[in-house]
Amino acid sequence: MPLWLLLILVVGGIGGITLLLHLSGKSQRVVMSVEDARTAWHRHFPDDLIEDALLSHDGHAALVSTSQGPGLVWAFGADTVARHLRDFDMIDAKGRLNFMFHDYTAPRVSVVLTDPERRKWKAWMQTP
Amino acid sequence: MTQTISYPDVVQLAVPLFIAAILIELLWIALRGRGGRYETRDAVTSLIMGAGNVAAGILLGFIAWGFFMWLWALTPLDLGTSVGVVVLCFVLDDLRYYWVHRFGHRIRWVWASHVNHHSSQHYNLTTALRQTWTGTFTFMMIVRAPLILLGFHPAMVLFVGGLNLIYQFWIHTEAITRLPRWFEAVMNTPSHHRVHHGRNARYLDANYAGVFIIWDKMFGTFVPELDSEKPDYGLVQNLGTFNPVRVAFHEWIGLVRDAVQPGLTLRQRLGYAFGPPGYSHDGSRDTSEGIKAKHLERNPQDAGTPGFSG
Repeated sequence: MPLWLLLILVVGGIGGITLLLHLSGKSQRVVMSVEDARTAWHRHFPDDLIEDALLSHDGHAALVSTSQGPGLVWAFGADTVARHLRDFDMIDAKGRLNFMFHDYTAPRVSVVLTDPERRKWKAWMQTP
Repeated sequence: MTQTISYPDVVQLAVPLFIAAILIELLWIALRGRGGRYETRDAVTSLIMGAGNVAAGILLGFIAWGFFMWLWALTPLDLGTSVGVVVLCFVLDDLRYYWVHRFGHRIRWVWASHVNHHSSQHYNLTTALRQTWTGTFTFMMIVRAPLILLGFHPAMVLFVGGLNLIYQFWIHTEAITRLPRWFEAVMNTPSHHRVHHGRNARYLDANYAGVFIIWDKMFGTFVPELDSEKPDYGLVQNLGTFNPVRVAFHEWIGLVRDAVQPGLTLRQRLGYAFGPPGYSHDGSRDTSEGIKAKHLERNPQDAGTPGFSG
């Protein structure tokens, strides 16, 4: 197959499928309840005992207090990803908390939070 | 000795079929309301990984080709190009695939390349295209050496390898539940391969087959898909990025960081590079055996059931 034809097929195929998926509503992020957040955490860390969970108002992220320390579970497209809050920096930006994990596989998570939520989340993370 | 034979690049020729099949699967899911899930960024990442794999083949393919032609010049054997020889080559290459794939899950150096294929939390036809960019650096081309030394021409070996890859495309779907029993008994199917993509403790390190599931049955790695336990797709620790560069290289970076950390013995450094995924010198991580053992501690009733019988 000539390279130019292969390029057209690949670029056109990726572009067309992307457009089709987006227009059919497949770009929406999952919205969790507190129970969903707990279930999601257990899915990622089945050995942990969950003590409590604090959900963001939009349901896209939750702080989870566990037997292994605090953690963050967040919407990753239609699915979720979770990490313990161990090796990270947090930046308090306007209207959101940015978690910068020192982890090449999950470098940055931006959580949209109201002002009262941000205060509550920060207090939660400081609780031993 | 046969020097100048050529076969079509079947993987490139199959690109229009891949696109058409993805569109059909999407339509099927939309019409039936079941049979799989799609997510835009996940699918785009998979498609870009597939495109990158083709590009890597074009850019780096000369390395494997040069090695194979060097072997071809060494061997006194030439089995020719009859249909029977091509069929035999296909079957033996599938055995080769089984072992390369098994190494890919049991040796971190090879897993670093293969991991990206398992990095989607979805299981649809785009997942099939989520292929490695770094396969050349695993040097698993060596496992093809016996075929060439036996007298199968390198072009034929690559041709049947391409057919093998195309066969594996259609099994990455949830739209097909089970196929006739005789087919499930011999061939790799969507059901068998869903197990392979499962991150459930039960399904780890199972069903390495490419085309013929008989290899798993012969070598003791077959686990059937249980109706009572749906595969949970993805990695034991799922990625939090859709960035294709991070998807392609994350395990290589993790491997190097682990292996060069200060204070380790040479054996420990080699363990990080060539031990099983999840190896750690201090026991802080779990290999698949550790994950299965912990699962059985929490769920002792699963002992002796498929995936926990070893």
